[in-house]
Amino acid sequence: MKIISVNNLSFSYDGEHPAIKDVSFDVEEGSYVAIIGHNGSGKSTLAKILMGLLNGYEGEVKLFDTVLSNQSITALRKRIGIVFQNPDNQFVGSTVADDIAFGLENHEVPHEEMEGIIHQYASEVGMIDFLDHEPESLSGGQKQRVAIAGVLAMKPDLVIFDEATAMLDPKGKREIADIILKMKQENPKLTILSITHDVEEANRADEVLVLNDGQLFLSGKPSEVFAHGKELREIQLDSPFLAMLIEALKKQGIDVPQGINDVEKLEEYLCR
Amino acid sequence: MKFSLGRYVPYDSLIHRIDPRAKLLAILFLMICIFFPYQSWAMTFAVDGAIFLLLVVLLYMTRTKIVDILRSLKSLWFMIIFLLLIYCLIPTTEPTFPLAFEVAAWNWRVYWDSFLQAAKILLRLMMMIELTMVLTSSTKPLDLTFALEWYMTPLKVIHFPAHEIAMIISIAIRFIPTLLEDTSRIMKSQESRGVSFSHGRISKRVVSLTSLIIPLFVSAFMRSDELANAMECRGYDPRGNRTRYRLLKAKWYDWVFLLFCAAVFGVLLWFSIDPRFNALLLFPAEVH
Ligand SMILES: Nc1ncnc2c1ncn2[C@@H]1O[C@H](COP(=O)(O)OP(=O)(O)OP(=O)(O)O)[C@@H](O)[C@H]1O
Ligand SMILES: [Mg+2]
Repeated sequence: MKIISVNNLSFSYDGEHPAIKDVSFDVEEGSYVAIIGHNGSGKSTLAKILMGLLNGYEGEVKLFDTVLSNQSITALRKRIGIVFQNPDNQFVGSTVADDIAFGLENHEVPHEEMEGIIHQYASEVGMIDFLDHEPESLSGGQKQRVAIAGVLAMKPDLVIFDEATAMLDPKGKREIADIILKMKQENPKLTILSITHDVEEANRADEVLVLNDGQLFLSGKPSEVFAHGKELREIQLDSPFLAMLIEALKKQGIDVPQGINDVEKLEEYLCR
Repeated sequence: MKFSLGRYVPYDSLIHRIDPRAKLLAILFLMICIFFPYQSWAMTFAVDGAIFLLLVVLLYMTRTKIVDILRSLKSLWFMIIFLLLIYCLIPTTEPTFPLAFEVAAWNWRVYWDSFLQAAKILLRLMMMIELTMVLTSSTKPLDLTFALEWYMTPLKVIHFPAHEIAMIISIAIRFIPTLLEDTSRIMKSQESRGVSFSHGRISKRVVSLTSLIIPLFVSAFMRSDELANAMECRGYDPRGNRTRYRLLKAKWYDWVFLLFCAAVFGVLLWFSIDPRFNALLLFPAEVH
């Protein structure tokens, strides 16, 4: 099933400068899709359109085979969760438990069930000991974990991360990446759309979309996309270490076949 | 940055455990009775003294620190001067107490009544501040908001946005530390650019203040925009139906506390309006 289907989407904030230009792509159920692109390339705008936060776009957006509209958005939002970049600006409740409960309250989950759900997802993200902590006493990474717990508690079918780890230190980044991985393992049907500047993370995704000035520049499997190292560098994007290594090997005359997607496999291949 | 007045002090006292709705109403009762007028000075002192004792007990129970109490009263010195001035300037028509001093040339007589009057108002203001402190130091701001929302809920029938107001207040409370952090960050970065917030002429300081306020507003608006997006994405609809994670349940001691404060209110109201108490407690000088 197609979870997201975007056709010829265009959008402009001011009517003059387009932020999204004629973008089309599909996302299959259960896939992990990364979106990369330089600052201002329209990634967040795309996420906001998918969440129904922006109106007046051209083209068609379908989520779960339902056309996105003002009528359908309320029902669709029950199935989509989003984690934004700034951990402070999405912490609504006054304590960790209240924040996880916020989405549940909105979706009229009965009071009796809340405690159990909150405990379950707080422990899933490792925040069970912090339930009555206030946001000031938490680190950025902990706040992001709470945001993820709040999203997961809604049992979404699609989770969008808009640079959710951009403000975190390497340790925080790794912790969030591990949680995402665990989420995926526990629920293979969960679809993840991750907007990121971290090419190593994009390299782990099933599919990568590259946005440049509002247009879809490249898309495909990470190994395919990052094989275009030169084009990516032209739009100020790095390639992951592996792709750079393969490119360097090619320059040296060593050809590496397609489908090698991690360093171990490359090592194995080279040693043979 | 930390405030002392109105800051919640985590502690597990009996007062802390009282339901915020009962506590809010009870404290309100006490606050009103602080300001009841009595016909005689003796009565005034007796009652104010009794309330003062009650307040000391409450403050002790909530484990409010003496330094916090003193700090909360720090701003009262201005009131002291102001009240003394006012009461000394207003001539006393029926003095109970002897003359304190007089300036015969201006026909200006000040009786001890004026000082006592000023002292009375001051004491009552102090007690009012301390009562507020009992409430805020023993109740989380969010619980207070819940209590307010609960009292405003009946107003929903006249389309009064009780829930929205409670949500606004609780978000404002939630963002106070964040915005304070923003403030100190912006101050530091502006100071590193050579702006001075604490030195120089007043006019210059006002100008430097704008270099703090404008970025602060921009940041606050950006935050509120993102917060609104996040809330909307999580399905928040101010007019929609919501269930509640935190439910307030009144227990027996909530009723005991509320009834006790209501009783104090009732008795003092009776003391204040029943003329029989006029004659009960009088200073010798007050016997006419
Ligand atoms: N609220 C807004 N009003 C007007 N223009 C905007 C608004 N938000 C973004 N834009 C513009 O739209 C374009 C795309 O912005 P967007 O935030 O989608 O980029 P992004 O890819 O998310 O960048 P970043 O990596 O910095 O997050 C930019 O040129 C930006 O200036
Ligand atoms: Mg962005």
